[in-house]
Amino acid sequence: MRRFRATAPAALAASVLVLAACGEDAAEPQAEGGGEPAAAEYPTERITLIVPYAAGGPITLMGQTVGTCLEEEFGQTVVVENREGASGSVGMQAMLAGGNDGHTIGIIAVPASATNPLQDDVGYTNEDYVPIAVGEVIPSVLAVGADSQFADAEAFFQYAKENPGELNVGVPGATTSQAMELRRMAELYDVEVTAVPFNGNAEMTTALLGGNVDAVFINSTEDVLQNIEAGSFTPLAVSPEEPIEYIDAPTLAQVGFPELVYSTSVWGFAAPAGVPDDVVSTLESAIENCLSKEETIETLGEQYVPDEFIGSEEFAARIDDIVEVYGPILQD
Amino acid sequence: MGILDGIGQGFAVALDPINLLYVFLGVLIGTVIGVLPGLGPTATIALLLPLTYEVEPVTAVILLAGIYYGSMYGGTITSVLLQLPGEAASVVTTFDGYQMAKQGRAGPALGIAAVGSFIGGTVAVIGLTLLAPPLADLAVEFGSQEYVALTALGILLVTYLGTRHPVKSLCMAALGLLLATIGQDDITGTTRFTFGQIALFDGFDFVAVAMGLFGVGEILYNVEKTEKAQAIKTKLKNVWPSRKDFRDSSGAIARGSVMGFFIGVLPGGGGVISSLASYATEKRRAKDPSRFGKGAIEGVAGPETANNASSTSAFIPLLTLGIPANVVLALIFGALLVQGITPGPQLISQEPEIFWGVIASMYIGNLMLLALNIPLVGVFVQLLRVRSGILAAFALLVTMAGVFSVNNDSFDMWVVLLFGLVGWLMKKTGFEPGPLVLAFVLGSILETNFRRSMLLSGGEFSTFITRPMSGTIFALMALVIIISVISGIRKRRRRSRPATPGEEDLAATGTTAEPEGTPGNETTDEQAPPAESGVPRDRS
Repeated sequence: MRRFRATAPAALAASVLVLAACGEDAAEPQAEGGGEPAAAEYPTERITLIVPYAAGGPITLMGQTVGTCLEEEFGQTVVVENREGASGSVGMQAMLAGGNDGHTIGIIAVPASATNPLQDDVGYTNEDYVPIAVGEVIPSVLAVGADSQFADAEAFFQYAKENPGELNVGVPGATTSQAMELRRMAELYDVEVTAVPFNGNAEMTTALLGGNVDAVFINSTEDVLQNIEAGSFTPLAVSPEEPIEYIDAPTLAQVGFPELVYSTSVWGFAAPAGVPDDVVSTLESAIENCLSKEETIETLGEQYVPDEFIGSEEFAARIDDIVEVYGPILQD
Repeated sequence: MGILDGIGQGFAVALDPINLLYVFLGVLIGTVIGVLPGLGPTATIALLLPLTYEVEPVTAVILLAGIYYGSMYGGTITSVLLQLPGEAASVVTTFDGYQMAKQGRAGPALGIAAVGSFIGGTVAVIGLTLLAPPLADLAVEFGSQEYVALTALGILLVTYLGTRHPVKSLCMAALGLLLATIGQDDITGTTRFTFGQIALFDGFDFVAVAMGLFGVGEILYNVEKTEKAQAIKTKLKNVWPSRKDFRDSSGAIARGSVMGFFIGVLPGGGGVISSLASYATEKRRAKDPSRFGKGAIEGVAGPETANNASSTSAFIPLLTLGIPANVVLALIFGALLVQGITPGPQLISQEPEIFWGVIASMYIGNLMLLALNIPLVGVFVQLLRVRSGILAAFALLVTMAGVFSVNNDSFDMWVVLLFGLVGWLMKKTGFEPGPLVLAFVLGSILETNFRRSMLLSGGEFSTFITRPMSGTIFALMALVIIISVISGIRKRRRRSRPATPGEEDLAATGTTAEPEGTPGNETTDEQAPPAESGVPRDRS
């Protein structure tokens, strides 16, 4: 202890240096090995699957469920590691630092994973990782409370149009897809509501039930579906291009906003850039297998696992779309 | 769900063998650290926090809560036997408890304290059971404006109540508020004061800050003192109090239960204030106040009851509003957040097993403590033989391993060490870490909700006054400020400083009140400048 105190300033100074050095390391894109000849066999050792969010949430559940399944597929241990922080950027850095031989993979949550590098220097760019497969797709839903004056989307948006900025709509965070869609709604269609950022679904639910916001634009996770079923939320509209069968509401495109189709959370798997192509396809087909298993679907929720598997290319195209749409908004 | 269903479900959770084990562990650890001077409940909980991440959320809270109210029992033992309070809330117990021990009545003093603690704790749990659900229903209506009012009130009370130097506390609270602004801003998503360091995007990790300030700061401070191990010579016999003792203290226990319950709910309340208030009340009510300080059993029974009651009722604001009432609760708040659970009005309906499980575990924990304390007092006392140096080294090791395990990030270890140094320096200079940490926690709630209110109201400040609930709270705050300013002026005229209830009694024995979160009592002598306390300091 005494020794520590004597050396503390030096140790602290050293730590700053070490940290700075680490930062640089992690920032270095690990793309040198791009397109290298395939590893003869994969996987040859244990796989680390990095979940960039805190333990306990549905994203971790997806990591653990698919991780366990991959373990059976490959006969290698899969270690699921939670590395939360900075909206997933910490986990992304950890994945990139793990090397691109395919034995370190990670979960990405789009749009956050793709929009983080557009807003700040987070130590990676969208070129530093390769999307592998989509695990779950969670659409957003615009909902009002049970005693709301708005019975449907038409009434809601009519009012919003006539009274710009008067309606308060809770969104799950300042830079979430929900917040950005509302901004695009104002820019493209001149329908203006006030987006009020909250931290996560629990706070938004309380705010809506307590009548402190007029509506919420929220990820339709299990808890929200329960509230809809119980009648305490009335869904007005959903975000995807196509209507969804488990929420009885039109799409935003159907009620007059044909461009607003991007507010969907997509959770998938990715590997550091430069990972050999055949490793990507091995992982792709293994994950496809896992996602078609009855027990996986049941654990993750039938409604969230895509009916048709979304592989590497399609996932990448989707991320490109989002970068193109949200990029300009985030950079102004 | 009705209260009966709820409590039934709660017992089903609490009686699960694992949870039962953790209740027991909690109250046992609580008693032990209550006995050991230097390590208070705040430091212990701060140090043990990371170890709770591996268990279920409900089990984690059961353990931490057990440590908290358990320490309220344990602190009594050394107060009575050695005039050495094991944790801050037991300071008052030294006045009459030690005198009783000198008269050969250490047994009854400890006995009545255990019984009183049990009654106080149980009354408070019953209050919690009955009051929390309706309060949570009410809290659903709370909007951002009400949260602004409540957190502002909390910060005000924390800096004012139970602190010796309001100005120093205010400085620390301001520092805490500033620290809370580091990281990504909730409303616009821009990063502030991060210097491009991704590790700072989410701000300082609360757990790391608290572990540093309370845990490591405390350890460093204790090591510096190289205290000798204590041995107890007092013989303990007849722990169970006589019928006359019970008669004498029944009123004190009843009043202590109620008073402790209500003080515990207040932000910044908690053990110390409630035991002081109870002591002052008992002394005022006594037919012969001169008995106090000379071994009056009411002077032991009342405060010990009150501090236990308050340590239980302090859970009410956390479990219903998501606002921690004091630093220990702030740590438990942190533990829940790490587990992915945000305490708030939705907790009862969405996580009933946590809410009711914790409450049920408190009934069980209080029973266990009664059973532990009456027969085993002699064993606990032997713990004082442990040298603080050994304890410190071990605690530091656990801390560093623990904080690393949270995020697998060595950055957090540096944060702990840095704040440990800060905490140690603060202790040496008489600044209290409590207001800093609580302001740090409440600061982000305050800021986010303030800006949310501005968004919701379109920038109208009047929104805080026109909404009935936030208006009432702000009126209350104005009242507190006016009263304290007036009494401050009057006190100054009398050339004295503003005193918390019972502080005169403290001054008389040469100790000063320590707020929750500054566990070691030994510090007080050096901290209080002689000019201010103005009494001869006779404690060794």
